[in-house]
Amino acid sequence: MLLHTDTAPPLQPAANPYQPYMARIVRIQKMLDDTRVFTLRFLDESMVRSFRHRPGQFVMLSIPGTGEAPISISSSPTRPEILELCVRRAGRMTSSLFRLSTNDVVGVRGPYGNGFPVDDIRGNHLLLAAGGLGMAPLRSLLWYALDNRHLFDGVILMYGSRSPADMLFRDEMLSLAGRDDVNCMLTVDADPSGAWTGRIGHLPSLFDHVTLEPARTYAAVCGPPVVYRYVLERLLAAGFSKDRILMSLERRMKCGIGKCGHCSVGYKYTCLQGPIFTYWDAINLPEMI
Amino acid sequence: MKILKLPKDKLDYFASVVQQFGEVHAPVEQDGKYVFKRLTRWSEARLAYDRTILPPKKYFLPPKEPLLVYRPGEGYVAPAGDVQHRLVLFGVHACDVYALNILDLVFAGKYPDPYYQARRKNIAIIGIDCVPDGKCFCRSMRADFVDHGFDLFFCDIGGHYLTFVGSALGDDMVLATETLFETVSPADIDEYKRRSGAKHEAFQLDVEIRDLPEIFEMEYGSAIWDDLGAQCLSCGSCSAVCPTCYCFDMNDEAVLGSRAGTRSRNWDSCLFSTHALVAGGENFRESRSSRIKFRFYHKQRGFVAEYGRPSCVGCGRCITACPVDIDIVEVLAALRETRHAATH
Amino acid sequence: MSKPRAGIFGLTGCAGDQLVILNCEDELLDLVSLLDMRDFLMAASDNDTACDLDIALVEGAVFSRRDKERLERIRQRSAMLVAIGSCAVWGGVSAAERNGGLAGLLDETYGTQGRDYDATEAYALHQVVKVDLKITGCPIEKHEFVAAVASLLNGDPPVYPQYPVCTECKMRESNCLLIEKSIPCCGPLTVAGCGARCPALRIPCIGCRGPAADANAESARQMLAAKGVPEHDIRQRLRTFAPTGGSA
Repeated sequence: MLLHTDTAPPLQPAANPYQPYMARIVRIQKMLDDTRVFTLRFLDESMVRSFRHRPGQFVMLSIPGTGEAPISISSSPTRPEILELCVRRAGRMTSSLFRLSTNDVVGVRGPYGNGFPVDDIRGNHLLLAAGGLGMAPLRSLLWYALDNRHLFDGVILMYGSRSPADMLFRDEMLSLAGRDDVNCMLTVDADPSGAWTGRIGHLPSLFDHVTLEPARTYAAVCGPPVVYRYVLERLLAAGFSKDRILMSLERRMKCGIGKCGHCSVGYKYTCLQGPIFTYWDAINLPEMI
Repeated sequence: MKILKLPKDKLDYFASVVQQFGEVHAPVEQDGKYVFKRLTRWSEARLAYDRTILPPKKYFLPPKEPLLVYRPGEGYVAPAGDVQHRLVLFGVHACDVYALNILDLVFAGKYPDPYYQARRKNIAIIGIDCVPDGKCFCRSMRADFVDHGFDLFFCDIGGHYLTFVGSALGDDMVLATETLFETVSPADIDEYKRRSGAKHEAFQLDVEIRDLPEIFEMEYGSAIWDDLGAQCLSCGSCSAVCPTCYCFDMNDEAVLGSRAGTRSRNWDSCLFSTHALVAGGENFRESRSSRIKFRFYHKQRGFVAEYGRPSCVGCGRCITACPVDIDIVEVLAALRETRHAATH
Repeated sequence: MSKPRAGIFGLTGCAGDQLVILNCEDELLDLVSLLDMRDFLMAASDNDTACDLDIALVEGAVFSRRDKERLERIRQRSAMLVAIGSCAVWGGVSAAERNGGLAGLLDETYGTQGRDYDATEAYALHQVVKVDLKITGCPIEKHEFVAAVASLLNGDPPVYPQYPVCTECKMRESNCLLIEKSIPCCGPLTVAGCGARCPALRIPCIGCRGPAADANAESARQMLAAKGVPEHDIRQRLRTFAPTGGSA
């Protein structure tokens, strides 16, 4: 395991930033009926070694003959050599991806976006609050923090899903519950199976069970709009400054490199200045959330 | 800057010399309008033109451009393409040169766009000054003069063109004519100043861009946007003809019976209903009014924050191209209007 | 992978879309080798009219009880049904708005004997059965058809522009007939894909491809009225090819 105490070294931008590098699908894990984790490894060994990302960054994934789309990286830079992409089947591109098998080849370029400001978070508590598929981009930060545990003060994970069956990376999440270096709080909205022994309730209700130190904590939030609404409410009520609340946002992207204009929100490009924005950025940009 | 002058009656000869620097394209007439086009002979060129239907943008960011070709086993590679093709654009107005300088900002940065950059390097620009008409407001947008981004720039001073030499390539063009260009006299400079002043007076439109970003912030919820949304046809004409609109879409086209294919970029517009639509169906700018507001906001406020100036050069093309007469100058004036009685 | 079994069918229409397919000279050999063409009456005589199909391409509008029965049968046979051409996608000219309705039309065309004719109101395919994909155009564009087959063979739906003809008209730098000549042109309302062929020939767009996504018909109506185009003409122009309007 490679420990990263610094931000990723600058990648020498390729001569043609639109040109993807080919990567092989080495593993496909089914998470939910419509959600899978695709593990990729570059064909070119020098790319395997040189590709470094920051938690919260994304790649542009190409499926030959189909197209290209932005996908956030779910694996941590502390576990290099492979890339894990947690994908929900939602449209033309992801449907095409779901028809691929292990050993099929796809194109990858990146990493793009700002990623989480891990240097700023260092020395502070880290609160991760994810709802549903929001775990996909946060998982990278989660493992980055756990693998560099000494860099952070307390680490709290709040993860809510609709039901135990809807929980992404469930075994991994449950295994965290046994660790004493992370306060892992899992909750489900409902448990039709009746087998869930953990908490039942919406994600924001987890705030009733923790004492937070807002002035020494960064909160990383990701989830559907309803999660943002209520989690942000709880964070503000707890006294968080708006620039200590970090959010990962999704926008339409075609190029990923600040040219095509699609991910523009007011005067920022989600692909360059995002996808991680502070809540202060968010409320100052039109149409942001 | 090296400044010379060219006798007007030697322009034909100069144009013939310039051919050795690339295929010459210039404005030609097309059914009462003008378009930049490859010249078959110099006499087709119309240097006294108002504005071309499309700006020179079409040469640097073509409407549809193949970016990559995919072949199984080979991956994605750039097609041979024509980015190295040498052209000379003859007769580009200052606003359009300015617009290219703005596009330069977008297509440079952390990830320089190699296709745009190659074209910018291989397409020479010979600018020419112009007389504003009723749709021009480049002066308001500080784009009525340019000091870079061209190879040569001609300004009419009566019997001569005052010639600004903007690059080494421009200098090569001058040198290739040997003795054609003459040195500038103090009287020429005075004539330039007189004409510059007269041009200033000729503008019929005026837009105040100071504190426009602030006004955009304050009028973000204005009913003006709803009215414009009801009026706008979302036809995309304004974006297509805009010299600084650069939004593009990228699409893959597969070869029949194969995953091999071509990835192209095509002009897109923030006025289209699909522009901010993400997989899964969420659309961040679903209403037409939110889209037309975005277009104005991005140009007059967003771009200022990002690059320090509006991404509008006042060329007037969007005014001439809108089927329902949406007029940016009127919109900006309306935003500036005070509609409420003073409360104190 | 075995070749997809395909059928190409025509309901009420001019067969122009099937002709476009047969005119894909450069691609026809590839198409025939990539698809297992089982049922294509216009091009073959030994058709299997009963087998299950992976893909059915259907042109024309539903304009009779027989059309409706045929379409329902095609739908039952086929895993995927593609409407090809403006008649199939929008109802087309068959469904164009006219005074007197169906009875009036039959009287006008055939006299009193027309009442016995097997004719119904005209419908676009999606008004009768589930349609999986629409390729519009009058006729369809060759390149859009070939791109659709190429995409579908890879399992992907094709991607077509949803914006209006105006953008393509500007891309090829044609003069604007609406603005420069006040000629009623349906470019701002009509979905692109044709390369704005007509305005490039100084012929106004008559909307043969049907409406663009989010077409603003009300503003266009006001604009045309302001140019002096009579209300009736505007209405007829907007409804000629796409009487089913934005409902599709």
